[in-house]
Amino acid sequence: MEENKQGKVSVVPEKEDVKWYSYVVLLLAIIFFSGVFASSTAWWSVLDFNVLDGSFGKIAAATGKAVEFRGVGGSGAKDGFMFALSLLPAVIFALGVVNVVEGLGGLKAAQKIMTPFLRPMLGIPGICGLGLIASFQSTDAGAGMAKQLYQQNLCTDDERTLFCMFQLSADGIITNYFSSGAALFSTLVVPIIVPFAVMMLFKVFGTNLLRVYIKFVNKKQQAA
Amino acid sequence: MANTEEAKRKLNVIDMFIDGARRGFTIGTTNMLPNVLMAFVIIKALNVTGLLKVLGVVFAPIMALWGLPGEAVTVLISAVMSMGGGIGAAASLLTSGVLSARDITILMPAIYLIGSLVQYLGRCLGTAEVSTKHYAPMLLICFINALLSMWVMCLILAFF
Repeated sequence: MEENKQGKVSVVPEKEDVKWYSYVVLLLAIIFFSGVFASSTAWWSVLDFNVLDGSFGKIAAATGKAVEFRGVGGSGAKDGFMFALSLLPAVIFALGVVNVVEGLGGLKAAQKIMTPFLRPMLGIPGICGLGLIASFQSTDAGAGMAKQLYQQNLCTDDERTLFCMFQLSADGIITNYFSSGAALFSTLVVPIIVPFAVMMLFKVFGTNLLRVYIKFVNKKQQAA
Repeated sequence: MANTEEAKRKLNVIDMFIDGARRGFTIGTTNMLPNVLMAFVIIKALNVTGLLKVLGVVFAPIMALWGLPGEAVTVLISAVMSMGGGIGAAASLLTSGVLSARDITILMPAIYLIGSLVQYLGRCLGTAEVSTKHYAPMLLICFINALLSMWVMCLILAFF
């Protein structure tokens, strides 16, 4: 779905401090996409994605009713094109914001917060943190890192499988949800972050389902 | 990675935004747009041939489990091929009034949880060299995730 990240990548997180502002940026990003200020009319509505995304101007249609430039009653490739065109601003805007969050260390902060929970929550070593965050943005980067972690004996075969299970369901979640998903953000009747949180929940749920399955299979093999 | 990251750190916030926005433009035009367009064409073809109605009737009892019309199954099928396709199908059905905003909200996480599995089998599991004996349970879990997520969304919607 997203662009290829070629080249060799380091799988071991560098020892470096996450700056204080990285946590602030992460928090702001969560608020920004959460939609909590979406219906607010006060100045803090500036902290909302849909508010800043704005709206298209209206054009008078033949029926006398004002419509958006996409028009009404279209179908097929032409309507699909116009619809995709109407999505572009949200996609461009959302990925711009995501890049700022990443650039200011917001994802690193998330990685630092998550690392101690990886073993109990997913059954994978904390060192997978970097690859895990990478997989949110790029399917290819996440998969590449999982392979390298195994090759460098930093995780076992089963741990790699679990790690990939976490990645596979809703892979590249940030890039994908905030690009194609942005198309329907204004249609959603819940805040943008709710489906995102549900997906995260099921990533964890699915990984644990496979964890139970692998444990069961391994036990059966040992018994045989 | 260290090099690119160092280069990144020298960028100011505006450069970061522009860089990301440029990537958004590229992904949007080269990936999202063709996928969405394809989905609209598929839905149109299903509509013209009357297959959409047939699918709607056949899958009505199953999709009713989540309070969705039978046609919603096309969104899930398109999603397995590509996430953008799933979104496109959903948007097309929304336009024609088959799906409501509420239906879209229920489907949203499911579109991604089973999204692009056709591609990701290779790009994720293949690249990471996961043992093929695990492929079947892993795919099954993706579908379980998607189906359960729709119930969770129904539950959440009760509060909105």
